[in-house]
Amino acid sequence: MIDEKKKEQPAWMNFKTLQKEELSVRYFFQKMKDRFKLKLVAGETGLETKKITDKNLHRPGLALAGYVGLFTFHRLQVFGNTELYYLESLPIEDRIRSFATIVAFDVPCIVVPNGNKLGDELLEICNERGIPVFNTTIETTKAIYFISDFLDDQFNLHTTIHASFIDVYGVGMLFVGKSGVGKSEVALDLIERGHRLVADDVVVVTQKGEGILMGAGTDFGEHFMEIRGLGILNVREMFGIRAIRFQKRVEVIVELEVWDSTATYTRTGLDESLIHILGVEIERVKLPILPGKNITVISEVIALNYLLKHYGYDASAAFSKKLEDKIASKSGDTTSGERVIAYFEHDFE
Amino acid sequence: MITRNVTILNRAGLHTRPAAAIVKLASEFQSDFFINKDGFQINGKSIIGVMTLAAAQGSELELSFEGPDEEQMSDVLVAYFAKGFDEM
Repeated sequence: MIDEKKKEQPAWMNFKTLQKEELSVRYFFQKMKDRFKLKLVAGETGLETKKITDKNLHRPGLALAGYVGLFTFHRLQVFGNTELYYLESLPIEDRIRSFATIVAFDVPCIVVPNGNKLGDELLEICNERGIPVFNTTIETTKAIYFISDFLDDQFNLHTTIHASFIDVYGVGMLFVGKSGVGKSEVALDLIERGHRLVADDVVVVTQKGEGILMGAGTDFGEHFMEIRGLGILNVREMFGIRAIRFQKRVEVIVELEVWDSTATYTRTGLDESLIHILGVEIERVKLPILPGKNITVISEVIALNYLLKHYGYDASAAFSKKLEDKIASKSGDTTSGERVIAYFEHDFE
Repeated sequence: MITRNVTILNRAGLHTRPAAAIVKLASEFQSDFFINKDGFQINGKSIIGVMTLAAAQGSELELSFEGPDEEQMSDVLVAYFAKGFDEM
C-alpha cells in the first residue's frame, strides 16, 4: 500500500527533509542579541566551539544544590531568581564549589535573565572553561518562552519545495507542478489581482508545532521571480509592499498539470484529497490546465471555498445533503427540474 | 534516477551566465533535474533556483536526474560542469 502510494508520488514531492542537529552558540547569539538585548559577559572563546543540540532548556537548581543525577547538561542552562538567590545565599567557597560542579559538565551556554548578574568569581570560571554567559533584562519566564520558541523553530523539520507560494484572500496556496507548466504566470496574475506573493521558485517550508506548516522565501531569492520570455522580475519593486509578504501558513496545495484524459479529476469535491508534508496533512487540489481555463479565477475560488469550509459551510456536502433529503422525503413530490421560483408574482424584470 | 556529484571549477563560481546556460540545457530534456547543495534542494530547470544556490568555486553539488532521457541529460549537464562552464 505504502509502496503504491510512493509510486504515485509526484516529482515535486521528491524533496529532502532536513533537520538541524546542532547550532553554534555564536549563531544563537547573533540571532538573539538584538531582539532580546542579549549581552555576552563571559566565555567568548566558547562561541564557536560550544554547540546547542537540544531545543529544550534547563534550570539547574537541583544540580547547583549538588544532585547531578539526570542533569541535562547538554541543554542551554537558564539561571533564574531561584538559582541566583541560592548561589548568593552560600559562602563564597561553597558558591564556587557549587557552580564548578555544573560547569564541570559540557554545558553549551548559560543565560541569566531578569537583569540578574553572576558574580565575577563565577564569570571567571566560565571564562576559563569557555562557557559563554549571556545577560538579558527580560523576565525569566518570558526569556524561557522566547528562547524555546526560537530553538523550536531552528530544530524543526524543514525542506525546500519548487513552487510558487501566494496568499490568496488570507489562504496560503502553494502552486506546484512541472517546470514550465505556468506556476509563476499564475502567481503574477494573482499578484496583479491584489494577492500577495510569499515566494516563487524556492519555497522553504518548515513544520511548526503540531499540524502547522509555514512557508517563506530564501534570504537570497526573496520576491524575485522569473517569467519565461521576460526574464527576472522583482515583485516588491514592481508592485510595491502590498504585493508581498514574508511568511504564511501553507493551507492548500494546488497541483497544476497538463490535462491528462486518463486521469480522474474530482467532480463533486466530496472526496477530499489530503497530502502529507513533513507529517502535516494539507488539502490538495489537482488542477488540469486546458485552453480557455482561467486558473487564476479558479485559484481564487479554491481559496474562498477553503474559507467557507473552514467557517463551517461545505458546498458539496450541503448539495449532497439536499439530494438525500429530497430522496428520503416521502411527500410524493418526485418531480425533477422544477424552477427555483414556482410563481413569478408579476415580476417580469 | 541517476545522481552525479560535481564540483564548481571556474573562479567566478555559478554566476548568472552559467546558471542561465544550465537551465537552458536542462529544459531541452524531459526528465526532472534537481540540484542539491548542503541539503538544500532546488529544481535545476528554474533560473531563480539555480542562482539561489550561490555556489562558489570549490562548492560540491549533487545532481539528480529522473525521467525517460535521464542518461543523456546527465551526460550533457555533467560535461558542462566538468569544463568549468567554458570559463577555464
